[in-house]
Amino acid sequence: MTGHWWELTWLVARREMRAQTRARSFWIASILLLIAVAAGAIIPALVHGGHTTARVGIVGGPAAALSQTAQEAGRISGTTVTVVPLPDVASAKAGLRSGRLSAALVGDNEVLVKQQPVGGTSSPGATLAGALSQVGGLQRLYAQLPPAAAADLARRGIALPVQGLTPPPRGLASRLTGLAVAILIYVIILTYGVRITIGVGEEKASRIVEVLLTTLRPAQLLVGKVIGTGILALTQIAVMVAAYLLLGNAFGSAAAHGAAAGVVLAGGLWLMLGYAFYCTAYAAAGSLITRQADAYNASIPLQLPLILAYLLAYTVLYASGVSWFYHVLAFVPFTAPVAMPVLVAVGAAPAWQMALSVAISLAATVGMARLAATIYERAILRTGSRLKVRQVLGSAR
Amino acid sequence: MGSRCGVLELDGLRRRYGDVVALDGLSFTVPPGRVFGFLGPNGAGKTTAMRAIVGVAAMDAGEVRWNGEAIGTQARSRIGYMPEERGLYPAMRVLDQLEYLARLHGLTSAKARANVLHWSERLGLAGQEQAKVEALSLGNQQRVQLAAALVHEPELLVLDEPFSGLDPAGVDAMSDVLAERAAAGVTMLFSSHQLDLVEHLCQSVAIIHRGRLVAQGSVEELGQAGKLRIAVRVAGDDAGCWAQDLAGTAKVEKITAGTVVLALDARADAQAVLDRARAAGPVEQFGFERRRLSEVFRDAVGSGDKDEDPVGSIGTAELS
Repeated sequence: MTGHWWELTWLVARREMRAQTRARSFWIASILLLIAVAAGAIIPALVHGGHTTARVGIVGGPAAALSQTAQEAGRISGTTVTVVPLPDVASAKAGLRSGRLSAALVGDNEVLVKQQPVGGTSSPGATLAGALSQVGGLQRLYAQLPPAAAADLARRGIALPVQGLTPPPRGLASRLTGLAVAILIYVIILTYGVRITIGVGEEKASRIVEVLLTTLRPAQLLVGKVIGTGILALTQIAVMVAAYLLLGNAFGSAAAHGAAAGVVLAGGLWLMLGYAFYCTAYAAAGSLITRQADAYNASIPLQLPLILAYLLAYTVLYASGVSWFYHVLAFVPFTAPVAMPVLVAVGAAPAWQMALSVAISLAATVGMARLAATIYERAILRTGSRLKVRQVLGSAR
Repeated sequence: MGSRCGVLELDGLRRRYGDVVALDGLSFTVPPGRVFGFLGPNGAGKTTAMRAIVGVAAMDAGEVRWNGEAIGTQARSRIGYMPEERGLYPAMRVLDQLEYLARLHGLTSAKARANVLHWSERLGLAGQEQAKVEALSLGNQQRVQLAAALVHEPELLVLDEPFSGLDPAGVDAMSDVLAERAAAGVTMLFSSHQLDLVEHLCQSVAIIHRGRLVAQGSVEELGQAGKLRIAVRVAGDDAGCWAQDLAGTAKVEKITAGTVVLALDARADAQAVLDRARAAGPVEQFGFERRRLSEVFRDAVGSGDKDEDPVGSIGTAELS
């Protein structure tokens, strides 16, 4: 493919970007998506912030100092603390299990909570347990000021250890991020895929394709369209991720914190893989229609696999865990763009599985592009009634 | 190759769609610098042939040659094409649209813009450049469509029904542009059903029927082919009674308001007819009549199969 080939293809891509960004619907959809992302980032933080009262048990002494520590920790984490003095650790644990207590401060040894938090004490200001751990730790440090003791503490960690009675949820933050990523991949591929179908359908229905193809090869028109649309999709996803991280940080949402970075990266990779796999198929779907009004319907068969993977993601993330069926979906190119990031989010996909699925997807993308290009080339100039795939593949242009 | 420069040749084009034979060995040649009309009844294969030239329809057999060589992608970027069903982006502005098309045909951005402004001025679209195509009247959309075919300075124009849907002013504007482009040396082929218009505008025509060429030549040649005709009017004889006993020398074809149109077997018979007319009264009108293109057309495509093809001697019809 010569420079001239790409020059014309780039003209097509550029027209595509201009045409789409000139449409009001593009901006409306983009802004709505951005609002959804902002809500996803802010609402968890607001909900968390609304939980403002807590009972904190203190075990051992000195009771006055411990009580003060608990109060101060409550202050910096935005929680009104009621201190409950307790005789021993056993009663503290009983209180935590029954839910009467939110946390317990055991002397200057440790902080007890019902469930081990994700990521330890990385966010002192945001959670009560984190604040207790930090403030308690500092209290202990100052009480045992002699340098040797301070150094010893520094080695073991200044903050008090936070002990959960039950193990941590398996990456709640990464699960939340996994769900957000699944939603975004699903929404972006569908939105831009359908735009491709509509765009191709418009070119066919308005017959401009006949003018274009006097100077362009069908492959140039196809490639230019999916590249132009793809650049818009990538730009949009970059803006959305940036907004999510910025707002999430600003509002202290746990979902945006470091633990989920891997999920976001996997999501970005799979968004690109998914778009590459699907974009030519959506173009082929557009080439089959003859009336603009059929464009959406023609794209529905392509939407179904992602919808399936997306809906089942809820069961994986919140209910029954990873079924063998969902594991299989993560290797099928039609569903992998959503299913694989979900597996990554729950920590069920080792690196080799990820690599295998990527390889399958890349190979399938080449196959899909070939098939779609064949369908597109044969169908794009055929008018009359709506075409069926088999009908198109069984005949020459 | 020098003599082939600007010559468009269709050679043995065949195309079948299922059971329908669209082109059945169609061959003809379009010389440069002439307004060349492409005629045929509906379904004759005109659109398929034009789509073959511009490369949007694949042929089962045959070849299209331009400048003596099989036409390829490079040559096709020098074609200006106006498809029958038209084709523009409805929501795109006129200026952007034309500039885009010009650039796709290899023009630089600056040259494209200059040409867009030139043609929108020339075709009466000035001031509408920022309008979306869908917001324009149908006539103006048609002008944009023509501008789209011309904006990249094509050497070959292929226009499928360029006159359909135009008002009289639009027809005039289109005719002017076609004549001007032909005079500038462009090779052109346009189809039309408006035979009177074609007759008026074209220098040459090709008539096809059922995917084959049935007649080709200059409008002049085709009009003079077949039997000779003369129109005679004798003053005071509105019924053309004088012509009633011409049997043997001429055949009366029609009589309209005293003007008798006669078909002759030989040029020499005309003098005998004139003598008869003079004997009947003062002759007000006497002249050879060319066949109208519509007649040529009707004879060429007939109503069924043509056993007697009145223009067969001139047409390069190959009825294999």
